[in-house]
Amino acid sequence: MEHTQSRDACWHSRHHSKMAVCIAVIAKENYPLYIRSVPVQNELKFHYTVHTSLDVVEEKISAVGKAMADQRELYLGLLYPTEDYKVYGYVTNSKVKFVIVVDSSNTSLRDNEIRSMFRKLHNSFTDVMCNPFYNPGDTIQSKAFDSMVSAMMVQAS
Amino acid sequence: MAQCVQSVQEFIQDSFVPMVAVLCSEDAEKVTRKNNLNFSELLRPFCRLTSEGHMRDPNNQVQVVKNLRISVNNVVTRPSVPASGVPGHAHRRLLSEVVLTCQPAEGGVANVITAGDYDLNISATTPWFEAYRESFLQSMPASDHEFLNHYLACLLVVSSSEAVPVEKFLKLSQEQHRIQHSGEYTNPKWFIPNTLKYYVLLHDMSQGDEQRADSVYEDMKQRYGAQGCYLLKVNSRTAAAGADEQIPDPWSQYLHKSSLQSQDQYEDPAPVVVNDTAVENNVGGTSEVDGHDSEEKDGVLVNSLDNTHPLQLDTPSDPPGSLDALRAVAVETKPPPVATGMAAATSHGACLTLNDHDRIRLFIQEFTFRGLLPHIEKNIRQLNDQLVSRKGLSRSLFSATKKWFGGGKVPEKSIAELKNTSGLLYPPEAPELQIRKMADLCFLVQLYDLAYSCYHTAKKDFLSDQAMLYAAGALEMAAVSAFLQVGAPRPYPAHYMDTAIQTYRDVSMNMVLAERCALLSAEVLKSQAKYSDAATLLIKMTSEDSDLRSALLLEQAAHCFINMRNPMVRKFAFHMILAGHRFSKAGQKRHALRCYCQAMQVYKGKGWSLAEDHINFTIGRQSFTLRQPENAVTAFRHILTNDKNPITTLKQPFHNVALPQLPLPCINSSATRVYFGHERRLAEGEKQAATHVSLDQEFDRDLAAMWQDLEEQVVAAAKRGVVPATFQPTQCCLNSQTDNLRFPLAVVEEPIIVEVVFRNPLKVPLVLSDLTLLWKFTLKDFNRPQPQEDSVGDVVAISNEKDARLKLLPHQTGQLNILGLVYNLASTSSTGDTTINTAEGTSVRGRQDLEIQGPRLNQTKEEKTSVSHGPDRRLDPTITPPMPLLEVFFLQFPTALLCGEIRKAYVEFCNVSRVTLCGLRVASTHPDFFTFGSSSLATPLTPLSPTSFENCSAYKTLATPPGVSGAGTGGKGVTEIPLGEGTLKPGESTQLPLWLRGPDQEGVHEIHFLFYYESAEKGGKIRVLRHTVFICASRSLSVRATACRSNTLPEEEERKEGRNSSMLVFVDVENINSSEAGVREFHIAQVSSSSKQWRLHKCINPAEDKESLFSLMPVFNFCFSVPSKAVEKYTFADLSLGNELIITSTTPCADFFFRRCQPLESLRLPVAMETQGRHSRSQGVGHGDGAKDIAGVVRKCNEVELDIIILWKAFVVEDNKQVILEGQLHVALQTIDKEACSMTQKEEAQEMVLLKFKPELPPPMTRPSMEQLSHLIKTNLHYPESYSHPFNQKSLCMVPVTLTLSNCSLAQVDVIIDLRHKTTSPESLEVHGSFTWLGQTQFKLQLRAQEVMRVQLRACFLHAGVYNLGTPRVFAKLADQGAMCETSQQTATPALIIIINST
Repeated sequence: MEHTQSRDACWHSRHHSKMAVCIAVIAKENYPLYIRSVPVQNELKFHYTVHTSLDVVEEKISAVGKAMADQRELYLGLLYPTEDYKVYGYVTNSKVKFVIVVDSSNTSLRDNEIRSMFRKLHNSFTDVMCNPFYNPGDTIQSKAFDSMVSAMMVQAS
Repeated sequence: MAQCVQSVQEFIQDSFVPMVAVLCSEDAEKVTRKNNLNFSELLRPFCRLTSEGHMRDPNNQVQVVKNLRISVNNVVTRPSVPASGVPGHAHRRLLSEVVLTCQPAEGGVANVITAGDYDLNISATTPWFEAYRESFLQSMPASDHEFLNHYLACLLVVSSSEAVPVEKFLKLSQEQHRIQHSGEYTNPKWFIPNTLKYYVLLHDMSQGDEQRADSVYEDMKQRYGAQGCYLLKVNSRTAAAGADEQIPDPWSQYLHKSSLQSQDQYEDPAPVVVNDTAVENNVGGTSEVDGHDSEEKDGVLVNSLDNTHPLQLDTPSDPPGSLDALRAVAVETKPPPVATGMAAATSHGACLTLNDHDRIRLFIQEFTFRGLLPHIEKNIRQLNDQLVSRKGLSRSLFSATKKWFGGGKVPEKSIAELKNTSGLLYPPEAPELQIRKMADLCFLVQLYDLAYSCYHTAKKDFLSDQAMLYAAGALEMAAVSAFLQVGAPRPYPAHYMDTAIQTYRDVSMNMVLAERCALLSAEVLKSQAKYSDAATLLIKMTSEDSDLRSALLLEQAAHCFINMRNPMVRKFAFHMILAGHRFSKAGQKRHALRCYCQAMQVYKGKGWSLAEDHINFTIGRQSFTLRQPENAVTAFRHILTNDKNPITTLKQPFHNVALPQLPLPCINSSATRVYFGHERRLAEGEKQAATHVSLDQEFDRDLAAMWQDLEEQVVAAAKRGVVPATFQPTQCCLNSQTDNLRFPLAVVEEPIIVEVVFRNPLKVPLVLSDLTLLWKFTLKDFNRPQPQEDSVGDVVAISNEKDARLKLLPHQTGQLNILGLVYNLASTSSTGDTTINTAEGTSVRGRQDLEIQGPRLNQTKEEKTSVSHGPDRRLDPTITPPMPLLEVFFLQFPTALLCGEIRKAYVEFCNVSRVTLCGLRVASTHPDFFTFGSSSLATPLTPLSPTSFENCSAYKTLATPPGVSGAGTGGKGVTEIPLGEGTLKPGESTQLPLWLRGPDQEGVHEIHFLFYYESAEKGGKIRVLRHTVFICASRSLSVRATACRSNTLPEEEERKEGRNSSMLVFVDVENINSSEAGVREFHIAQVSSSSKQWRLHKCINPAEDKESLFSLMPVFNFCFSVPSKAVEKYTFADLSLGNELIITSTTPCADFFFRRCQPLESLRLPVAMETQGRHSRSQGVGHGDGAKDIAGVVRKCNEVELDIIILWKAFVVEDNKQVILEGQLHVALQTIDKEACSMTQKEEAQEMVLLKFKPELPPPMTRPSMEQLSHLIKTNLHYPESYSHPFNQKSLCMVPVTLTLSNCSLAQVDVIIDLRHKTTSPESLEVHGSFTWLGQTQFKLQLRAQEVMRVQLRACFLHAGVYNLGTPRVFAKLADQGAMCETSQQTATPALIIIINST
């Protein structure tokens, strides 16, 4: 478990220019459809972070009443901040969750940017779903989706 | 946070209790020592007061003190925790020991918490945490900013056996005074300057004089007052009497910990000697003293004490993951040696009766209510008075001074500045401290209202003074007392706590205090169900400095998450993992494992494979270090098999060897292949064995279908045209794609080879050795008894790479089940030679079962909707009795041939079994490729050596009688092999000649042979042998032939013989082999024909030399006349162009011809029907079947069924030697005037087949085409070629012309001859002079079938010249087709006549 080393600033500062450090798509049943993170050596940690964030997502969804569920905004905003990261959430109407983890030090990212990232992610995800060869519930292995995610994770323009 | 045994109130109350010190004389110590206890220990179980006490507050109100506990301790002059607030090493180790020894009970009660779709088994209580908390709070060092754990009173204990007890009391009293006031010791700390001294006279009932004790007590009462002293009588039981009496031992639960504690408090091994009089008091550890006493009699104890030296026992926390930790853990997991020593040596309170227990209880009660509480009450009142009197003055004075000297405002100061002031110390008598002191006193005696107001006041003072540490302490206690106030007049000020914690941690850097504060606050928050806040608080307290604390707090935080109203399962799991990680860093491996296991419940099987694998890996590693290999294996196995379906580990009881199931390497069980069959000789000298099937071949679905088709054909041929319903294709090699529903058949004494595919998911190389198959065998007799053999099978490992092939040789018939594999598993220690390492390295012998899941069923609706799998019987062969076994070898089998080339080879059939075989047949995809010679003739003709017959013509080696050829015997591609007597006896072999003819199309041909044979015994099973050859065919000659109707009328004599017409056949032969370097020239050796109607008559060859060389002239024309001959049998007519004549009908040539025809025959099916129709008509049966017939009739007359066979020789230079190759080409002529080519098939094959979505329209055959109808009548003009006529004599020249009409068709034809018809074609207009026909110019005739009719005509010419007589138009129609128009018949060639003027 690398958690305790998380405050190591070594790679922390190296990657701060990235837009997102981890992007995940979680199925309705709360298993991962897609997880990608930038520093590969910390992959496990991001898996844990994303998994843990689901509790907050569920809390936020359940906070909205049943009647209001239709009007619920898909974007959930900041789920919780950790020492090094900010975790944002987004839930589609079909209860598919998107989670984006951003480096805390990246102050240039405003809420609007996060929103647009989620929108892009949602659109691309819809494209994946529309693929007749995609079996709903399978992990996403679309190249188009992959490259879109990569674009969100590389250098901010 | 987990549930606790104590309530919050109890917990907080017990955390802060009045402290009482003990000073004990040596003699008194000896008295208690009899019970293996020192005095403070003796009292400890009785320190909680069961009855209520009463006291008055400063306002003279009586307050009830309930459930009070006091803490009695020996005076220890060394601080247990350094003042810095960083706990010492020993202290940490103590806590670690406490946590370590408190493990959850095996199979303890676990709550099932259901959250969403998670069902979690979580232990509700965490006793290790409570134990930790208790010892942590008890070992809190006394600090200057608070007084809660300062000593309020001191018990001075003297034994009654002392010579002068009063003197001793005096001494002890002085000692206490010295410790408190001399300034020599900073520890222990005392609450108030005039500490309550309580004099206790300890009397040993078993020894001393009770009278004397009483009198001394009386004396004491005089001296110290009745409320200041006590006579405690103990040890009323004699050692002998008490042996059988069972007395409860209330000490054990207290002493285990405390003994550790007291021992651990010495970091320095040297005994602490304060003063010669106070030695005993300062020695804390019972066992140590005990050790001194019992040194001689109890050697074991001494040893154990030596071993348990604090520094020696020290186990450094291992870096997680190191396997070397195992040794250290082994030490750790042993029960602490101290405890064993204690347990072995003592039971406590051996000399105490229940009466004594009561006396002690009473003593405590007396002391507390009579001594301690009044003392506290008095002090509170004093302090209160003091404060009230001083209040007005001091407050203003202080604030004034502050204003004068401090200047600026206070609260704006930054933390950095505050840090500087945090060191601020008040003098002991400072008024601020007096308030605090009073608050603490009130708090200890449960006057929480008063305490709160005091704390609150103190807090304000401290804050204004920037004494942050003091302020934090006041804040903390203010919050606690606010919480504890009865009826809760004000809400719990959680922010007080937060500020306090922050101050302790960040400003004072005192983690111990911060931790205490956090523990209290968390407990309070938990009681108010503010789990989220509690969790945040606890998580904040985790830090790098203490892994144990972090672990425990994280675990509590995790419990907070799960206890929330909406349980946060994932957060729980995550924090459990973090806790587990910290536990393992702290060396608490069992707790770590427990945490990981609890977290595992959340991650298990939810698709978070990375996390799951990580947890499994950690669990495996921890289990391994804790010596729980089974759990480790389970966990590790999960990692290896995570991606697959959960494997069902079936315990099979019939295995006498209970070997462990190994998870490595992974076996791809569905890829297992099973091969049934013996090891065949691949080649023997020049012989080449049939390829058959082997494990090295990849499975090909198309090929398998092809083989099955061939097998069906051959079986059908063998069973007289019917494929039995029970027919199943033979499968020699079973894999995942074959049909494995039936039990495969294996033959006794023929090996079964199992190929197992291994996959190593690890990056570590694995070495497998001694692989064997596990199998089960059920003996079964088939019809007759089998000789009993001892060995049923043996197993040999063949290869060891990625797939292993294991062989099993059955010796008896029965049912075999292959169950699994047994092998030794080892990992290579180095990259060196693996075979050497296996011998040295440790290896595990284990097994893995082979379980193959059958294909998914998808037939019925139930099967479609559910997921069910069919059986897979690949590994369950039935062993059948012996069967014949054929081996086939080929000799001189070529690999490359020219198209049409004839080559001779030999084939050898060999029966290697002990059973006679018969019914040998062969089916092939290319039946025209080969033909067999007769065995009877073959035997003498078999060449002695292949080379001697090398240049011998294939046509000359053997004359096969035409009837022998197998063309008529069976199905399309099946040939019966002419064995000598139809059978092949065991061990016998036969050689047969085999002619091969190069395929007509160039390219590489894959030719498959399927040899079929059966057992000669009744009901013998069938077997097959496969063979595949590749032949490369290269182009040789191209033959084109055209048949034309000859215009000449047949000669009279010929007509008599029945030949009524003739044809010309033009044959063009082209050498298309120009590219081939080896072939020098082709010779046409012979042209033969084969037809039922026609035969080649003579060669009308325009070329001069008879042997034509094609190398010079690529295209060559022949012209043959072919007289018609009506014979019902195929007739061969040979026309040799060379020197020798080959009798086609008696050579393989005919065989190949027939074989080649067979596929054509099927194409000609409608024609064949027509042929029959013709026969029936010729017999006069009638011809009424309408329009359908017409087409046939019409077509018939255009048809020729003539096959031309060209035999050629090619001179080829091979290795500087000239070799003559021979070959034959076939051209099938079907229609007059239509060119046929020897290579037509290829062109046809290239034609695109249009996709048709509608059913085909009925073929338009019913209406014969105009072109076909124009061939009904053949016309011929007979006239003199030149005619002399004297025009000057007679102007009109009349020439008789005979028009011969011959009906080509087989039906009656109406003919109209029109002589006047003027052609409109331009060429006929060109004729210079015209002539006219004389006489009848129109005839209407009817011609019977094949009738020849002559019509006499006269032509009249006016001038000399050349005229074309071919003007008559002939129209014909079939007689019985009234509705049909007459069709113009084809005109004959221009018939020129020369009229000469003969003047």
